[in-house]
Amino acid sequence: MNVTVNTPEGTRDRLFAECQERRQVQSRLTRLFRQRGFLEVSTPDTEFYDLFALSGSAIPQERMLKVGDVSGKICVMRPDSTTPIARVAATKLKALPLPQRLYYDQTVYRSNPAHNGGSREIPQCGVELIGALGRKADLEIIAAAVDALRACGAARFHVELGHAGFFRDLAGRLELDSQQAETARRLIEGKNFATLKNFLAPFAGRGACGALEQLSRLFGGPEVLDQAVRLAGPTPAVDYLRELYDELSAAGYGPYVRFDLGMVHQIDYYTGVVFRGYMEGAGEAVLSGGRYDDLVGVFGRDTQATGFAVDVDAVARTLPKTALPRLRTVIHYEPGYLAQALEAVDSRPAGTCELSPCRTLTSTRNLAREKGAQNIVIFDKDGERVEQL
Amino acid sequence: MSERLRIALTKGRLQDRSVELFERFGLDCAPIRDPGRRLVHAIPNYPLDAVLAKAPDVITYVEHGVCDLGIVGKDTILEKGGAFYEVLDLGFGVCRFALAVKEGGDFYGGYETRRVASKYPEVTRAFFETKGMDVDIIKIEGSVELAPILGLADAIVDIVETGATLKANGLQPIETVARVSARLIVNTASMKLYKGQIEDFIARCEAGLEDRT
Repeated sequence: MNVTVNTPEGTRDRLFAECQERRQVQSRLTRLFRQRGFLEVSTPDTEFYDLFALSGSAIPQERMLKVGDVSGKICVMRPDSTTPIARVAATKLKALPLPQRLYYDQTVYRSNPAHNGGSREIPQCGVELIGALGRKADLEIIAAAVDALRACGAARFHVELGHAGFFRDLAGRLELDSQQAETARRLIEGKNFATLKNFLAPFAGRGACGALEQLSRLFGGPEVLDQAVRLAGPTPAVDYLRELYDELSAAGYGPYVRFDLGMVHQIDYYTGVVFRGYMEGAGEAVLSGGRYDDLVGVFGRDTQATGFAVDVDAVARTLPKTALPRLRTVIHYEPGYLAQALEAVDSRPAGTCELSPCRTLTSTRNLAREKGAQNIVIFDKDGERVEQL
Repeated sequence: MSERLRIALTKGRLQDRSVELFERFGLDCAPIRDPGRRLVHAIPNYPLDAVLAKAPDVITYVEHGVCDLGIVGKDTILEKGGAFYEVLDLGFGVCRFALAVKEGGDFYGGYETRRVASKYPEVTRAFFETKGMDVDIIKIEGSVELAPILGLADAIVDIVETGATLKANGLQPIETVARVSARLIVNTASMKLYKGQIEDFIARCEAGLEDRT
């Protein structure tokens, strides 16, 4: 039988620098999360399909990776971390006082169409703030999102805020039925300017039509909020975004905060502020989050929640390549000198020194040359000596 | 900050029409008209580089963010899908997807499951799904008109411009599946990162389109 040596599409082996770069992003993010009082949780890689399907997950069935279960039930590799964490918050953490600050550092799995170059294993680091409503909770999470991208070392980045309530407000004022609202939402999400205009033509003249038509163009700096008020009059959603912006600016976050009022993805899932983070060099959002006050309730505990996830690989790809440490020294030791040899390895910078497994010094010399080391340190009855190569 | 945007143009007819549009609002497109051996064509009087690609590849390049912008037909967008912003209907490359059957055939009569041949199985699937109708879809790579003639399919879903090819092969379009024209698409992250430049480009395209009408 011929053994298949390829990995399945969408998966990959990660070697050396790639692992190091991913770890670096993970450790910078998780350090920040811990500093802000978040505690780590980890949930199973596989969960029941129903958990996601019945809780209104935005991930379509065909994008979930299914696996069998001994019980005969269908399981999936977790397609997102927020749903399992909401489950945990509603059950295991029931006795703990709210709010709870939770973070995770784990992979999500999504099945992609064939040959699109996407990864089906997406390492994410993220936070969820469970059981806190209102401005301060949103400010804390948005500030954490900005700080997360900054901590990763991003040169040019920003976090864009939107609000699920704004679209709902406008669609409601226009008295769109649910199917029309969904069509409008799709066109706005796709910034499908021309088609949206045609679609809304029959509603022209109704109060919010102009605002809805311009919604997909309402992205950019804080001037976007003024435009929104001009188009739609004062609305709770835009007033709220303004309050957030004023406070974020006062705290020095202003330059990193922008707006996209046309951010209307997963409109049934998000209940308030939504946001996405962009970094130069990444072809898609690297951070995504928002307020989802209804999800935890699905699992039996009525409480609010907000959070975000960072796509670790997407961030790592935009950062400068890191150099691996180079091997300088190979240690050759005679029987009885293991302790000294190990001490020599441990006292040098990681990755610059290794033990020779060879019995003879000649073999060690050959090995050291082959690996490009600069010197050999020898431990034997004469003590310690260095041999340059 | 003025960085160069990169645009992917669909090779062939859409490329010619795109160049005409660009020239109408003042871009110097000589490098695209006379490409030589170059693959990336720098526009000298505007911060834009153009590459030429097959239609589905235009979407791939834009989706992955290696091109900020693309010009591609709605037919390809409907068939391939993907995550990007579709900001402008450029109004050229107009045609339609039609369902065509053998002349005199009764496609909707009876209760046998019909067979439909198409180069665009996704478009076909979506169309019959909205009707709640089950059909067997057969993907054909070349001249789809051949499939009903040979008796492989009851109908075809294909791009129709004048309908002359259909008529010559004894087929008649009975329904429009979708209208098609060229679209300007934008990578989602580029739209945010280079907002000013991309809005400027879109505005110029819009003005160029109005000039013509």
